Amino acid sequence: MQKKLLIIGGGSAGTILANSLDRRDFEISVVSSSFGHLFQPALLYVAFTNVKSHIVRDERSLLPPHVNLIHDQITAVDLNEQRATSANGAVFPYDYLVIATGMRTDTSQIPGLSEINEKYGDYHSSIARAQRLWKRLDSFPGGTIALGQGSPIIKCPPSPLEGIFLTDELLRKKGLRDKSRLIFFTPFPRAYSASPMNEIVEPLLQEHGIEVLTFFDLDHIDPATNTLYSIEGDKIECDLPIVIPPFKGAEIEYLPVDVVDPDNFVITDKETLRVKGTFNAFAVGDASNLPTSKAGVGTHLQAKVVAKTLSGHPAKFDGRTSCPFDLGNGRGVFVNGSYEAPVTKARPTRTNHLMKMAFERIYWSSLRGRLDPVMDAYFALTRPRPASKEQEPASTNV
Amino acid sequence: MDETTTGRILIDSTGSPCPGPITDLALAYRRSKVGDLLELWATDPGIRTDVRAWAAKTGNEILSISDSDGKIVVVIRIAKR
Ligand SMILES: Cc1cc2nc3c(=O)[nH]c(=O)nc-3n(C[C@H](O)[C@H](O)[C@H](O)COP(=O)(O)OP(=O)(O)OC[C@H]3O[C@@H](n4cnc5c(N)ncnc54)[C@H](O)[C@@H]3O)c2cc1C
Repeated sequence: MQKKLLIIGGGSAGTILANSLDRRDFEISVVSSSFGHLFQPALLYVAFTNVKSHIVRDERSLLPPHVNLIHDQITAVDLNEQRATSANGAVFPYDYLVIATGMRTDTSQIPGLSEINEKYGDYHSSIARAQRLWKRLDSFPGGTIALGQGSPIIKCPPSPLEGIFLTDELLRKKGLRDKSRLIFFTPFPRAYSASPMNEIVEPLLQEHGIEVLTFFDLDHIDPATNTLYSIEGDKIECDLPIVIPPFKGAEIEYLPVDVVDPDNFVITDKETLRVKGTFNAFAVGDASNLPTSKAGVGTHLQAKVVAKTLSGHPAKFDGRTSCPFDLGNGRGVFVNGSYEAPVTKARPTRTNHLMKMAFERIYWSSLRGRLDPVMDAYFALTRPRPASKEQEPASTNV
Repeated sequence: MDETTTGRILIDSTGSPCPGPITDLALAYRRSKVGDLLELWATDPGIRTDVRAWAAKTGNEILSISDSDGKIVVVIRIAKR
């Protein structure tokens, strides 16, 4: 008999999972609050290089015909009674549940941030906001730009530094770099949170004359003067603030209530991906509280782990990530890690940059499972080696 | 993050590699108030250096750093917020 599988979220994780299951075994429903599937990494290029390519596709077009796609917003999930309820009052009973609701930006956590981002835009919220940021950058006459993340939780950990490197590149191209001061702020003890990668990044920041302010955990902003204040007591005055907002999980009320953390991320077993205290509910992608990067590659692999488990072949997630990191000026680096293997230093190359540029085309096909053999080969080839006992475990939060 | 009856705020970052523990500490600091005691558990040895740098920067007080069987326990008193 077919089992009823409910997937909440039609983004990367939900789409990959729905494409990875045998239709004979499952009656699959995807409930998604969005219509368009956005290729989120492109927001970086919309904001810093004015990319205009086709970066949104209809969610329906990415799902197989047998999958029932419902556009609605889930507001409550009762894990005991095995049902979800939507804003429209629809009730979705399930045998198996997969929470793939991603995470969203939340400017309300930092006083002054809504005004700043409304005015200058940002590159983690929406295409419209990213386009606004491009307009501000394109018309920037020179002065001080401060860029950083507004909270320690971040989607795609390299993205703040990618932003500052691309800003530097843009200003150089426009002949404005001499008239500009670039400040990168971060709540972490170093520019890049994972030490081995920081060793690559720090000399580059120096070479480009980018100032770094560490332990700058944004507390509030004075939008009248564009002054940023940190919890640690520092301040930055600038002409153009580019602030990545804090993030939180979807606004869904869960029963039992203790399956989410204070930021609404779902408390999830880091290997089986089961939601705390359940056997038939899973969380994949950015929605979970896993101690690993919020990024697409982990999301892909997590969806595959859950697909295997649901198909009767219990699998485990090893914390694997592999993030393409654009260092500007045509150079890039891949950051590989897993729960057991340290992030190691990797050499920036032009090929890595080109791979990041080719990412979009690969992305759409990979959602539908068309590149599975190629992806599996890539992951096997680039598998990071576990840390030796003497070595300090490094980061998978790449 | 759990609030225990003694008023200590427990942050369990065991098994979480760098920068997991310092991320969890920074998030707990955001929600803390002066006088709170934060107890951070970690297994990533990098936290020793990071937490000292963090305390020096934020003006908070490390009451103890202990280590047993690879589990590092750091107790911090929030003096500045
Ligand atoms: C600027 C930027 C650069 C990035 N660069 C990279 C990169 O280079 N490499 C990389 O691997 N990753 C990158 N990422 C991260 C990557 O895009 C995400 O990690 C990935 O999309 C997460 O997938 P997800 O399915 O968990 O969430 P999403 O793809 O965000 O999907 C969430 C889905 O849930 C739905 N939803 C939410 N709440 C509800 C609800 N209550 N009811 C119903 N539906 C709901 C949404 O509508 C959406 O369909 C980047 C992200 C950004 C913003």
